[in-house]
Amino acid sequence: MSSQFPAIIIVVPLMTSFLIFLCEWWNRKMAYPLAVFATTVCLFSATAILQSVTTLGPFHYWLGGWPPPWGIEYRIDHLNAIMLLLISGIGLLSTFHAKKSVERELPDKTTLFWCLYILMITGLLGICITGDMFNLFVLLEVTSLSGYALISMGEKKAVYASFRYVIIGTVGACFYLLGVGYLYIATGSLNMADISKLLPEIYQSKTVIAGFTFILIGLSIKIALFPLHAWLPDAYTYAPSAVSAIVAPLMTKVMAYVIFRVVFTVFRAEFSIALLSVTEVMVWTGTIAILFGAVMALSQSDYKRMMSYVIIAEIGYIIGGFGVANATAMKGAVFHIVSDALMMACLFFVAGMIMYQNGGHRLSDFKGIFRTMPVTAFVFTVGALAVIGVPPTCGFFSKWYLLLGGIEARRWAFVAALLVCTLVNVALFFRILDKGLFVHGQGKAFRGASRREAPVSMLIPALFMVLAIFLVGIFNQAILDKVIRFTVPLGV
Amino acid sequence: MPDFFSIAYRPVWAVACPAVVAVLILFSNRRPNVREGWTLLGGAVLFYIVLSMPPVLLAGGQIRFAWFRLLPNIDFAFEADALGLVFATTSSCLWLVVSIYSIGYMRVLNEHAQTRYYFSFALALSGAIGVALAANLVTLFIFYEVLTLSTYPLVAHEESPEAIKAGHKYLAYLLTGGVFFLIAILMTYTLVGTTDFNPRGILSPALDADSKLTLQLLFFFFLIGFAKAAWMPIHSWLPTAMVAPTPVSALLHAVAVVKAGVFGIIRVVCHIYGIEMMQVLGLGLLLALIAAITVIVANLYAIGQNNLKRMLAYSTINQLSFILLGVALLSPMAITGAILHIPFHGFMKITLFLCAGAIAAIAGEKEISRMAGLGRAMPITFGAFIIGAFGMCGAPPLAGFISKWHIAQGAVESGTLLFLAVIFAGSILDVLYFFPVIRTAFFGRMPVTEMLTHDSAEPVETVDLKAPFMENRHTLYHFMIVPLSITAGFSILFCFFPNMLNIYALAQAAVKSIFGGP
Repeated sequence: MSSQFPAIIIVVPLMTSFLIFLCEWWNRKMAYPLAVFATTVCLFSATAILQSVTTLGPFHYWLGGWPPPWGIEYRIDHLNAIMLLLISGIGLLSTFHAKKSVERELPDKTTLFWCLYILMITGLLGICITGDMFNLFVLLEVTSLSGYALISMGEKKAVYASFRYVIIGTVGACFYLLGVGYLYIATGSLNMADISKLLPEIYQSKTVIAGFTFILIGLSIKIALFPLHAWLPDAYTYAPSAVSAIVAPLMTKVMAYVIFRVVFTVFRAEFSIALLSVTEVMVWTGTIAILFGAVMALSQSDYKRMMSYVIIAEIGYIIGGFGVANATAMKGAVFHIVSDALMMACLFFVAGMIMYQNGGHRLSDFKGIFRTMPVTAFVFTVGALAVIGVPPTCGFFSKWYLLLGGIEARRWAFVAALLVCTLVNVALFFRILDKGLFVHGQGKAFRGASRREAPVSMLIPALFMVLAIFLVGIFNQAILDKVIRFTVPLGV
Repeated sequence: MPDFFSIAYRPVWAVACPAVVAVLILFSNRRPNVREGWTLLGGAVLFYIVLSMPPVLLAGGQIRFAWFRLLPNIDFAFEADALGLVFATTSSCLWLVVSIYSIGYMRVLNEHAQTRYYFSFALALSGAIGVALAANLVTLFIFYEVLTLSTYPLVAHEESPEAIKAGHKYLAYLLTGGVFFLIAILMTYTLVGTTDFNPRGILSPALDADSKLTLQLLFFFFLIGFAKAAWMPIHSWLPTAMVAPTPVSALLHAVAVVKAGVFGIIRVVCHIYGIEMMQVLGLGLLLALIAAITVIVANLYAIGQNNLKRMLAYSTINQLSFILLGVALLSPMAITGAILHIPFHGFMKITLFLCAGAIAAIAGEKEISRMAGLGRAMPITFGAFIIGAFGMCGAPPLAGFISKWHIAQGAVESGTLLFLAVIFAGSILDVLYFFPVIRTAFFGRMPVTEMLTHDSAEPVETVDLKAPFMENRHTLYHFMIVPLSITAGFSILFCFFPNMLNIYALAQAAVKSIFGGP
């Protein structure tokens, strides 16, 4: 039984999502409990997988008992395990969080929402567990298609935003598939480990280089790496708040994981760094993405749109960290995947709560929240401090490793961009904190304003996020020693 | 089961105490008396905890507590060494005094958002104690940032556009400084692989012909990092931050915040670079020049001020650089003087601020030109003001005399007579702007129309002139008058008993550990 967790973590949510779909005719009230059930099972399995990886080391799982390269192989190492835990953990909390806001924002589409939501989580988990290039494409499309549909459920402009996302996202997926095709031509295999073994002999081949380039460009579109980011702000802004609370923290992080896999596992360091020096490109794109995201975020008056640009900057951190390509920065980048997911979940939960109570997500909707919604305000403050990188939140420590790695590698532009972005984040978040804290001139509307705190079912997941932000920060050494240390690829 | 009350845990308790108080304050939102009770209780407990540490240390003990590993080779660790305890003693003692004062001030003025005020205040104190007792740069950085962020709501307390603007300026300077501080820590860590404080300095392994420039640049980063020390030209946040309520200016901008900056620089000079390195790299001279320029220029700024608090702010900038000058001279005497000036200046400057606050709250005046005759109406307050003002100039028999004397002696010792001249010039300029205030207050004449309100036969400290809107107003006045009398008293006593609260012994112990030898 215990060895079947890799299958359970995919099969259970996949089946549940179809079950939920049937609830539409059977009993609509069952949709939510089923979703909770599926995500709980996922979290449980992910914990078990992580435990097994940390104690026994990486392992593989042959789906249906078919050996590779014919069957699909799940290959689970430390990076997979921590991604699974991250996705299922945030997935579960986000499920609790979403209940109320879905009931309010999508009253007649709840079953549909839960069906797609669980399907998307399945896809995300699948991407992070599979060891097969083509299987990854399929799951990428499962995730994206359910994502498109979920986003289009949102506000008026969401349909347009989602359509744009469909077009660009599909182009990205095509690029990826094309690249995988090239690699298949060159090696005759789709299994990552297999390809990785076969490739070094033909690294010089034009086919391989073309395949690598296609895959990387496709993934760059999917992760919204500058300058391929244009679809992201609209999609995240107009999505229903329950959707942005899961898409924003996880989607781009999972894509970062895929990039990591392709650049450093399928292809190896001697190809990516020495031969093609794609890392050089990554560090510069990352640097520019950080600066661009920071500047654009400053000029927004909508909270979710502002956060979208913050995400674009954060992607720059991660990609830049991969590009710095030394052990310290690599650890920092992987750690930043974790901490950024937590921070974004925290801050998008806040967006959901503000939306629920104040009916909007513009910056002006934050007015006086320290008096009217003190707990929400507290959660927001912690999230903001984490993004700024104030110790002892997790944001500080990931930034520490990224900066240290940057200094060791003498990547001064990247270091400077990180520091500038820190200051911009201060400006961004204190602008909102001011609105929340100081309501001078607003008269007695706020002075004696009654509490109208968000519902408990939304607050508790958010408070868990706060706890996670602190704990991951404080115990970063344990996490690095037990897990992240092992994700540093060979030859870096 | 470890003994949580043993001496090793004391630093943690000291840092935790105000933080716990902060949380309690938050939950006593609706009952002001309970809330202020927590503050006072916390202040007393903290003072007790801090005072329990120097005897152990002076008896030759070591108080160090490494909590957990924060980063490779960096612990989240506290160490109560002599230097840190001087700062911790000053902050904790003055927190208690200012808490009493705050109650009077905030209630007389019927200020809004008092819970936020007391909460931030307690949190800031936790930050200050953390800075004092941190055992390495990263731990220090954490609390340094806590201090910056928790004082932001205090600076912008008024919530007027002006106050919020001041708050933004405050953050812009200090957090930009924080970024420089961070990069300096990272560079130090990259160079020598540790950030623990050591009385001999830790950077010496990194010194070779190539790294000289790097180390000099690094020191400059540290200096900008400690923007809280308000050396020129990065001082202008301090006068702007004076829009804060006076108790905030008093404790935070005369003691905790700015002293955290100065303290940080002392830490870096003595415990990161070490005296020898400073001399080899010629950084002592650089720091001394910056400090000397600030001493003189800040005083020139102060002469023109009409707003009392702004004037005091420039006086603070001047005195802070005085401390920096003492450190920069790199002689045992001068450093002793510099360390002594942290508590001594703290007590004297807080007296001046508390006076300014009392004048503003009771008589409603903030501008010096409008204080004519107030000295006779508020004799205790202005008496204390005189004590503080003379202390600033370094006149005996006041605490300032002791510390300034040490620094001057240090200047002679190190043979830099230019700086001796600066010290005297600075002190004379102090007289130039404090004296007019005293003259106006005691001998100035008000325009006839305002005589009616001010020049009353009876002192205002007992009879209020504004329309009374609170029954217990007079009692509340005592909450202000008593603390400022206490700090004024301390300012005198320190001259005769410099070893009160173990200050002098601690300063000597700190210097001894830095210079070694007998």
